[in-house]
Amino acid sequence: MRVHIIRALLNKEFARHLANRGGIAFILLLLASAVLLSVFAPDEAAAAGGSGVGGGVHHCFIDFDRATPLVKHLQANVPKELQERIQFRELGNADAIEGLIVYPVGTGALQVRQILEDGKPAALQVYVWHPEGDPTALAPFEAWFWRESRRAFRAEAEKQADKSKLGPEPTFDPGNDWAVLEAHREFSRRVTEAGGRVPRLEIDRKGLGGKTLDFRSTIATAIVLFALYFTCVYLLSTLNCEERERGVLLAQALSPASPFEILFAKFLFYPVMGMLLSAILAGIYRPAVLGSLFFWLSLTAMAGGFLGIGMTVATLAKTQRAAFLGSMCYLMSVSMVLLICSTNGVPIIPHLTVEYHGPRILHAALSGDVYPYHWLHLIGAIALACGWLFAAGWLFRRRGWQ
Amino acid sequence: MIRLAGLRVHYGSFAAVDGLDLDIRGGELFGLLGPNGAGKSTTIRVLIGQRRPTGGAVSVAGFDVVREWAKIKPIFGYVPDRENHFEEFTGRRNLEFFGQLYGVPRRRAQDVLELVELEEAADLPVRGYSLGMRKKLLLARALLHEPPILYLDEPTANLDIHSAEVVHRILRDRVKAGATIILTTHDMDEVETICDRVGIVCRGKLVALDSPLALKQAHTERKVDVIRDDGERLVFDLDAEKGQLAALVNSGRVAAMRTREFDFHATFLKLTGQAFD
Repeated sequence: MRVHIIRALLNKEFARHLANRGGIAFILLLLASAVLLSVFAPDEAAAAGGSGVGGGVHHCFIDFDRATPLVKHLQANVPKELQERIQFRELGNADAIEGLIVYPVGTGALQVRQILEDGKPAALQVYVWHPEGDPTALAPFEAWFWRESRRAFRAEAEKQADKSKLGPEPTFDPGNDWAVLEAHREFSRRVTEAGGRVPRLEIDRKGLGGKTLDFRSTIATAIVLFALYFTCVYLLSTLNCEERERGVLLAQALSPASPFEILFAKFLFYPVMGMLLSAILAGIYRPAVLGSLFFWLSLTAMAGGFLGIGMTVATLAKTQRAAFLGSMCYLMSVSMVLLICSTNGVPIIPHLTVEYHGPRILHAALSGDVYPYHWLHLIGAIALACGWLFAAGWLFRRRGWQ
Repeated sequence: MIRLAGLRVHYGSFAAVDGLDLDIRGGELFGLLGPNGAGKSTTIRVLIGQRRPTGGAVSVAGFDVVREWAKIKPIFGYVPDRENHFEEFTGRRNLEFFGQLYGVPRRRAQDVLELVELEEAADLPVRGYSLGMRKKLLLARALLHEPPILYLDEPTANLDIHSAEVVHRILRDRVKAGATIILTTHDMDEVETICDRVGIVCRGKLVALDSPLALKQAHTERKVDVIRDDGERLVFDLDAEKGQLAALVNSGRVAAMRTREFDFHATFLKLTGQAFD
């Protein structure tokens, strides 16, 4: 590898971007948005408002400490319209950080815990974990939960006591905790009079807190990620295809510059430019992030992944237009896959995309909340980046310059 | 200097070049001619290492074009038929970039700009250049590192008469300096003017190889068209019917007479099987 050739190729890339000012204008817009984000929403809590980004709940976890008859009844009586949106799991299997259960953004939970006294069930504690600031977000799940709970309690009571003395089911409003508790007390009194026993009911309603995703850090993460995608996938593939289409790539290939040197200069220029831009954007949002090893590792992993994707698009596309459409189609496809998997609880598939891990690790780095599982996401992102780079290299060797 | 032995290039079942044998000497300006689709450009693509031969062997300056392409790259210059510049750069910046890749001094860009008479437009973006200026810039780029071998694919297409003359002068100077040049063109006058030897290919095969003059002499018909005073048109073969022609002329019955002059166009059309009856 010859230094004067690499220097000439890097200068050429730089000069081309200086001459084509569209890219520079876009970079300036990104920088302006980062500055605006920093100036107009300096207080994270105020900007976030304590809510998740999208609002609402697409999934509800039913977390239980033991598989009681109530839990079994609930599992057997999930209505069709909620089957894809409810997930039962034992509390011990829930994702936890330092002993605290963590619920992903866009989900809530109904935790069911049984209190035993003298080895017998004495009370049932139900914790309603809703998104912060939105206590009614779980309403459709609660309506089903309380309706089926009442049916389960009655079925248990009918086994213990005289059915005729139980009377009709007390009416209650599932959206009103006081009404639910009153109805249960009335039912419990009738069961006791009939010679049976049902555990008492306790309801605790809690917000999930605002530490998951807030608007400000989410937008900052999106800007940083988009800067990387823009340079490593969009710019790299379109300019590469433009050179191929015009024949200047051939002209360079016929010069003393070796294919490896030409590739190396492109590999060096675009990820470095993307990382530099991303670091500036992240630094404007939160200067301390520039001293974080996790941030730089995340940035490198994502730059590598996007470089692999960009080179793959550049190799497959014949023209600049095809490269532009290819990079946009890729973005849309992955977004749709992630959305569908997220809203339908499809496992594993999202983990196979760089775009699944990237936002998580960069957001963790930008918000300063890096937990052990974020390192696992980082390892996943690095592995996928290596895969993409390998695929791009293999494709490039097969398809060549033209 | 450049040797093609039984070169074959197939695109699927189509044979673009079908057993081409050529031996081009050092210091020669060689014209590669043929109708569209004859295999000229494919042959050039093989020589510049952009197309692998299906069969046969090709060597340039003793190096195999497939196995030793890296050694060949610095010793040739190439003018493609389709211009390929960085449109957003000036002519000078384009040359300086390629000059850096070839490791030539920056001053060399100015030298070649003057050589092709582009110095006045040197600092304008290429996107504002005319077709002729772009073609001259291609030649300037090919000359940057003073290569001993030049491949030129229609170098004077879109050039005005003066610019074409400038290109011819440059090519003759390069040949005098010992360079070997392979030129493809459709301009028969250009071939007659500057080429030392000509190879005519048709359907991937070499159909003629000689100097332009020898080809004309060998393939042009030596005949005279005569129109008699009664309007009848006659054709006399100058070798076989010399006596009859002389008798007719002496009889005073010739209204008009025209010799079929040596014509490279006719030679080309005849050799490529494209002549009109």
